[in-house]
Amino acid sequence: MGQENLSFVLEKTGVVKFEDRPVPKLASDYDVLVNVKFTGICGSDVHYWQHGAIGSFIVKAPMVLGHESSGIITAVGDKVSTVKVGDRVAMEPGIPCRRCIRCKDGKYNLCVDMRFAATPPIDGTLAKYYTLPEDFCYKLPESVSLEEGALMEPLAVGVHITRQANIQPGQSVVVFGSGPVGLLCCAVAKAYGANKIVAVDINKERLDFAKSYAATDIVVSQRESAADSAARIIKDCDLGHGADVAIDASGAEPCIQAGIHVLRTGGTYVQAGMGKSDITFPIGAMGAKELNVKGSFRYSSGDYRTSVDLVTSGRVSVKELISNKVKFLDAETAFNDVKAAKGIKVLIEGVEDSA
Amino acid sequence: MIMKTDEQDSNPSFVLRAIKDVAFEDRDVPKLRDEHDVRVHIAQTGICGSDVHYWQRGRIGDFILNSPIVLGHESSGTVVEVGSAVKNVKVGQRVAVEPGVPCRFCDYCRSGQYNLCNDTIFAATPPWDGTLSKYYVVASDYTYPIPDHMNMEEGALVEPVAVAVQITKVADLRANQTVVVFGCGPIGVLCQAVAKAYGASRVIGVDVVQSRLDFASSFGADDVFLPPKPESGVDPIEHAETVAALLKEKFNLGEGPDIVLECTGAEPCIQAGVFVTKKGGTYVQAGMGKEVVAFPITTACIRALNIKGSIRYTTGCYPAAVDLVASGKIDVKRLITNRFKFEEAEQAFELVKAGKQDVFKVVIEGVQ
Repeated sequence: MGQENLSFVLEKTGVVKFEDRPVPKLASDYDVLVNVKFTGICGSDVHYWQHGAIGSFIVKAPMVLGHESSGIITAVGDKVSTVKVGDRVAMEPGIPCRRCIRCKDGKYNLCVDMRFAATPPIDGTLAKYYTLPEDFCYKLPESVSLEEGALMEPLAVGVHITRQANIQPGQSVVVFGSGPVGLLCCAVAKAYGANKIVAVDINKERLDFAKSYAATDIVVSQRESAADSAARIIKDCDLGHGADVAIDASGAEPCIQAGIHVLRTGGTYVQAGMGKSDITFPIGAMGAKELNVKGSFRYSSGDYRTSVDLVTSGRVSVKELISNKVKFLDAETAFNDVKAAKGIKVLIEGVEDSA
Repeated sequence: MIMKTDEQDSNPSFVLRAIKDVAFEDRDVPKLRDEHDVRVHIAQTGICGSDVHYWQRGRIGDFILNSPIVLGHESSGTVVEVGSAVKNVKVGQRVAVEPGVPCRFCDYCRSGQYNLCNDTIFAATPPWDGTLSKYYVVASDYTYPIPDHMNMEEGALVEPVAVAVQITKVADLRANQTVVVFGCGPIGVLCQAVAKAYGASRVIGVDVVQSRLDFASSFGADDVFLPPKPESGVDPIEHAETVAALLKEKFNLGEGPDIVLECTGAEPCIQAGVFVTKKGGTYVQAGMGKEVVAFPITTACIRALNIKGSIRYTTGCYPAAVDLVASGKIDVKRLITNRFKFEEAEQAFELVKAGKQDVFKVVIEGVQ
């Protein structure tokens, strides 16, 4: 197999393969070329693999997978000034247009012309090389490994959610879902000074991990009404009149409902998880309790840099989330593991240089 | 040197070559730099205090005139050429031009504060050329179509309206608030008008020139105020406190207005502005005068004032400004007192410099 730019490609629903592709060219003087070293797998990657679509994003042609990456810069455009060849970087995989109203208003995650790695039709980062503009590469200090660098993407998601939730020191937060995003939300909430961080999940093993990681309390979901579930969480975790903040990182309808019920009046609810597109929603409670209900999507200005800062300073630790590392050629195994919900975060190593 | 024929176009420009040294130059027609650019045939250009300041003093803060620049930045025109990726305007479309294009890459740009970008290309801020040329090239997303019923003079006045919109945005003005605006020059009266349009319950304009107060009364202000001159020997700070107290009493402002917009840069106004703002209120510095002033900082602290600076404009200001003019909420035509042809540009600048009371907004027609 040629070794110019070996890539892990989703050929069509359910079918992945390795393919050698040309090394990408720098599209502008502000672009850099990155030799990808580690890539984490996200539920969305698995979903495209299994279902070929998320919402209106449909895989119509073969597409390279992966978007949670770190790497080493191997070439820079003529006008690049903030990074140099040899720099170890976390890679922010979504490039906005920079010209639309959302971009200029500081919300580039909402850009109408966003080009996001491994969201069709844009190729992802599971290749030997990837190009990015310099301002979407974040230099990692020596103390932060490239493996941790690959965790910056989900951490930035957690940072964005936490900022949407506007968590203040001393507040209480209930996080539904103890997958990587839920866990990272707990960690960021803790770093932001939340006093009480309750992790809720159906999986006791994940909850035990959450407790050892960042949560102050854990609650196992049971078969009960959402209102009862919320009441139980409030009682068991001493949440007084209710939590200040509820974050859903599960996408599961019962969690979303419980999230609304677990809040105090005037509390804030943030929807991060993606499950069913339409659900039964406790809108009466939302209105009567005057809740702030917000969505959270990917990350925008400042989130990646905050993530690097949080890990560098030790306020958030991500090493514990890495369950396994596999070689690039074993990428499909890693995808199968994630699909089977094995471990927390599986990393795929970069393409090895041929001997 | 290229011999010009009748068919060959050129780009006559009004250039500031050095301090107090302006001249007309024939430059090359500017080319589009990339597929997102447009070329605008400039129709009208208003003159701003900053243009006059660069002409007379050659610097504002860190921006220093080191080489010739074309002047002007408050313009409207017709799009005559578009890059291949341009979607928001077409050739022939009449537009208001936003004269400052940021880098789009820095943290300021990415966080929605592009007015703070260090690498902004701003027309007529050294070293960048301004808009007093036949043609000006700019990124297409910095041009805003104006409706047919808006004329080109109104299109040029969109720029100062956008400045006023940004000032009220920084002030976080809400409906039913009370506002005191120091200064009834173009920016002051436009702030008064924008505040009214955005639902302020009471807008009071302050100035030392009666004719300007008269105009402000007829424009956007509900009330106007001419502060008394200080008596000889009175401490300026004491006088500022007196002015503030008079303002509150005369206009039943209770503990003070919710919002103060300082559009003069004059030290006595800055001081009175801080004293008059109600506790917890917001004071916005928009005017530029002395760079360092005596500032009542303990008052600001004890009264928990929000004190902010405002510079140029951010996302949404230009579209809002076009809408305020197009909808008739702000009649900018009334600000124009003098009109000049392109060849008379130097006279136009001299007129603004002379600072006569009856001169308000001066516009220069583009090259035909």
